[in-house]
Amino acid sequence: MTTPVERDSSGRFVKTEVDAPQVTPGDDGMHPVSKLLFGWVDSPRTPTVFLILVVSICVILFALDLFVDRHDYFHLAESTGFYALWGFGAFALAVLSGWPLGKLLRRDEDYYGEADTTPEDVESKE
Amino acid sequence: MNALLTQTNPGLLLILVGFIGALIPAQRIRQGLMVATPVVALIMLAFADRGSSLAVANVLGIDLILYRVDSLNFIFGLAFLIAAFLNAIYAMHTDDQLQDGMALAYAGAAVAATFAGDLMTLFIFWEITAVSSVFLILRAGTKAAYQASMRYLGVQILSGVLLLDGLSYVYKANGTLTLDAIGTFSSFDEPGAKFIFVAFAIKAAFPFLHNWLQDAYPKATVIGAVVLSAFTTKLAVYAFARMFPGFEILIWIGAFMTVFPVFFAVIENDLRKVLAYSLNNQLGFMICAVGIGTPLALNGAAAHAFAHIIYKGLLFMSVGAVLYRVGTAKASELGGLYKSMPWTTIFCIIGAVSISAFPLFSGFVAKSMTMSAVGKEGYFIVWAMLLFASAGVLEHSGIKIPYFTFFGHDSGKRVKEAPFNMLLAMGIAAFICIAIALPAFVPGFGYGWLYGLLPCTTVSPADVCSISGKAIEVYDPYTLDHVLTQLQLLMLAVLAFMLLKRFGLYPPERPGTILDTDWVYRKPGYAFAKWTGTVWGKVGPAMTGIAGRLGAQAFDRIEATFSPRGRLARGGLTASMALWSAVLLGVVMLVVLIAR
Repeated sequence: MTTPVERDSSGRFVKTEVDAPQVTPGDDGMHPVSKLLFGWVDSPRTPTVFLILVVSICVILFALDLFVDRHDYFHLAESTGFYALWGFGAFALAVLSGWPLGKLLRRDEDYYGEADTTPEDVESKE
Repeated sequence: MNALLTQTNPGLLLILVGFIGALIPAQRIRQGLMVATPVVALIMLAFADRGSSLAVANVLGIDLILYRVDSLNFIFGLAFLIAAFLNAIYAMHTDDQLQDGMALAYAGAAVAATFAGDLMTLFIFWEITAVSSVFLILRAGTKAAYQASMRYLGVQILSGVLLLDGLSYVYKANGTLTLDAIGTFSSFDEPGAKFIFVAFAIKAAFPFLHNWLQDAYPKATVIGAVVLSAFTTKLAVYAFARMFPGFEILIWIGAFMTVFPVFFAVIENDLRKVLAYSLNNQLGFMICAVGIGTPLALNGAAAHAFAHIIYKGLLFMSVGAVLYRVGTAKASELGGLYKSMPWTTIFCIIGAVSISAFPLFSGFVAKSMTMSAVGKEGYFIVWAMLLFASAGVLEHSGIKIPYFTFFGHDSGKRVKEAPFNMLLAMGIAAFICIAIALPAFVPGFGYGWLYGLLPCTTVSPADVCSISGKAIEVYDPYTLDHVLTQLQLLMLAVLAFMLLKRFGLYPPERPGTILDTDWVYRKPGYAFAKWTGTVWGKVGPAMTGIAGRLGAQAFDRIEATFSPRGRLARGGLTASMALWSAVLLGVVMLVVLIAR
């Protein structure tokens, strides 16, 4: 079905209802592919299962470090669990620094007078 | 093969078609050209001879070497052309003549600059990248985008001017501008080296010169941000690799560049800005590798640039698709989009694990080389910084982008899946991310293909890799040590994320502007400029007034003395005339008496 193109008084094209984005909060119209691939995400058990999975992978990786005789460019890096601890520590440091940094550096969205940065080529821009 | 095709810089073709395309109103014809041209250009590149000057023009006594392919610039040009192809597909749902044309011209300028055989040619295309890319920001149509695009243009032109300045010193000292073997400069004492270094540093967004990137890219159009992410900065990395390999200062600058954006990306709410910081962090790895300058490191930089252009483009595409459908790219307003955009979700996750350098994805086969090269040269602190940054990449690009967009707290927003052309471009990019990273057991695919394109391979030895005097070696990313240590680093970091999230220690995504060093010129700097303007506005007239009054007084005096009605014209007494004549006569006689 084609809808007639409408123009406003200045001759610009007006978006018809059919073209309008369907951003309707709360509508649980899930994409069929989402149901197939990500149906498990909303299950209440998912976070726990995920955590157990990741913890067990981490334990295995750490255990492997005890048996594998690794060779590295630096002595410190050859010590058991170096990479694991470094990864954990670095990640935690980066995230936790977000608290003080946010307090220090976050200002109002309109601080530079440019709150509106949504470009014109998005679908729902009026 | 036709000589015209094999001896023309493919970038020129892209620029030409880009400018013509901007004038073609018919959307399908124009976009057909935009997609087809990079393919033709790829074929042209495939048939080009390596290591000789293919097109030379003489302008004002300077030989412009318009087209020169060698093993270093080949891989950069190839990546640029693939990016141009993907970007053209990604843009097909919009009908914007100027944007389509300028995107291709911009890509073409980057390609042409990459294959430039002398500094003047490089300079010309360096400037064309600046001028053509600004439209990608301007077309966003907001006031913020307009202002950012002007700041962007100013910075880019400044970089060009510095390059021109530097190359004129080079020409004066050497009488030639040719770029052939790598390592044009061996120290900063050489004429022009400092200017050219700073010109490249601006385009590579070095720390404290980086703000144009985080300023402009997130304000560009949906398509513009994707296009911008590929070219300018990687062209600068190539230029550093060509002219400044093995400069130790680059190692430290690069290492710092990988670390500091991590902290900004954590607190930034606009996901396109997060990606812009992440871009900086990735460039740091490449710059660091260029600074090391061994064949392994240069290979690492080139491989990283190639992989990065694809996966960073993919991430910008997926966030762009969300922005296109939902109307915002702010983490605080997104979440739960896996329900309505499953394909975009999958492609974004592939981009995220690629940039995080999980084994079997492209970041791994590229970044491992840089890490090994740094380790081999014994820079422990640099190596530890890069390792920290690797965990940081996982935080902002690997987890934050996909998690807060597609999962996390459900925003309740239900939209349509991204348009087919966007999905197609993302799909191809995702395919490349995996295809170039697989171990050799898949025939025709795998990291072997990527490694075969690198500047320093044993097959195509040496003309560009002799700078450090180190031997070219065969590198294997899939050793047990590499895979195990990388997985340990990443999985424990993932665990850290889950624990922090579970215990409520992960800072919530909140709207706001995050201050960066551009605050200095956007607030106090701008205020100072405004203040001086106001002061001048007030002081100027006052000074003019004073000068006017003084002038008038002086004129009055002079007139009162010398004018026909003035004091002198009135004349004095005759007696005084006689007296003064006698005095003068006496003086003359006295002088004559003494002088005798």
